Amino acid sequence: MMTLTKKHRRIALGCEGSANKLGIGIILHEGTSLTTSTSTVLSNIRHTFVSPPGTGFLPKDTAAHHRAFFVRIALQALASANIPISEIDCICYTKGPGMGAPLTSVAIAARTLSLLWNKPLVGVNHCVGHIEMGRAITGASHPVVLYVSGGNTQVIAYAEQRYRIFGEALDIAVGNCLDRFARTLEISNDPAPGYNIEQLAKQGGRVLLDLPYAVKGMDCSFSGILTRADELAAHMKNGGKGPDGEPFTPADLCFSLQETIFAMLVEITERAMAHVGSSQVLIVGGVGCNERLQEMMGAMAAERGGSVYATDERFCIDNGIMIAHAGLLAYETGFETPVEESTCTQRFRTDEVLVKWRK
Amino acid sequence: MATDSPVTYPCSLTLDVPFPDARLANAALQALRVDKELSALVQRELSAVDSTLKVQYKATTNRMLRVAVNSFFDSLALVLEVMEQLDVDVIEAKKAQEKTG
Repeated sequence: MMTLTKKHRRIALGCEGSANKLGIGIILHEGTSLTTSTSTVLSNIRHTFVSPPGTGFLPKDTAAHHRAFFVRIALQALASANIPISEIDCICYTKGPGMGAPLTSVAIAARTLSLLWNKPLVGVNHCVGHIEMGRAITGASHPVVLYVSGGNTQVIAYAEQRYRIFGEALDIAVGNCLDRFARTLEISNDPAPGYNIEQLAKQGGRVLLDLPYAVKGMDCSFSGILTRADELAAHMKNGGKGPDGEPFTPADLCFSLQETIFAMLVEITERAMAHVGSSQVLIVGGVGCNERLQEMMGAMAAERGGSVYATDERFCIDNGIMIAHAGLLAYETGFETPVEESTCTQRFRTDEVLVKWRK
Repeated sequence: MATDSPVTYPCSLTLDVPFPDARLANAALQALRVDKELSALVQRELSAVDSTLKVQYKATTNRMLRVAVNSFFDSLALVLEVMEQLDVDVIEAKKAQEKTG
């Protein structure tokens, strides 16, 4: 275990592969105290496994993709950072949550690196990775965090060394709702289904189709909305008309879906802000790239005298640098994962992590 | 069920995987033995003897055996590729080559 005061520069390599993005990043922390430490991204390389339109990514194929690309991405990350292996302090990897086979495929490679290079391993919670990277990039001091992606939907606030979950999706994540609806409409998954829905939605707006609005207290639910959206899509394909007697388009469907689900997210985020007394919102996760969501959240935050913080696609989409950053923060408090304990787990609650690096 | 007869694993496969040295065989052992087998119908034993990784798979059916061993080979291939391309001496040799090249 090394203490902060002994080493001015600390470097971590982080590996992420809980879904269809394989990311490897290298981060540098400089400084000798928790409050004055600075973070620098030395490299952040990612490759996404894209499945054909109308399909989703399955665990076995996704794991095969990660295995096939790991060495290539690692070499690129090392070359881009241009630092010798001797300067790397630890190897961080995503312990969970996420998809089993993809997580394990990356963990096996991370373990191998750790053993070959003789560096300690640090298992990282994927959600905490998103939160810590969001904090580092935006500088938001005490925000309510909305973590929204294909696999997760959580409203989080920090209290006493834990990221507490105030509200969450009860069934499927908001990004999963979007991804599956993209399959219904056979929209391309390149670069990401949600991105293509966002672009198509911009062409909608003539009519707001009626979709169920499912906020349940601090939580929300998306599977019923997806079912209804799928029904409307089938209706549209059969030449059905919208509520105003006119035919409607995939763009109208995408627009209506976004407006409905984003309004739900804004509501549960606002509820948490009222509880916690915060006026800042930090949006992290792949769905956080969506500009309409940022716009709607921004309007709500402004009404409360606050603001929205968001990162760009380098950091809001799954990446290795967030794993390196959160892992290095933990390592600097003395945390390490022995190789025999470096398992992966599909379920890993955000509040299971003791956030020792914050007061 | 009143009494369970003990599960037997009639289908088995033994692999001896040679490595350049004991360090690499041990690294492979440590990396590959962490994850439990996904199915209770499969049993696995891994050990390193000098520079050889010894793998013993047993399963209730041939199908389960094939599935488990195929998956093991995928993971082993990844470990080997990482060793071939990312070991310390390989990286250093590449850097030296780039400097002189």
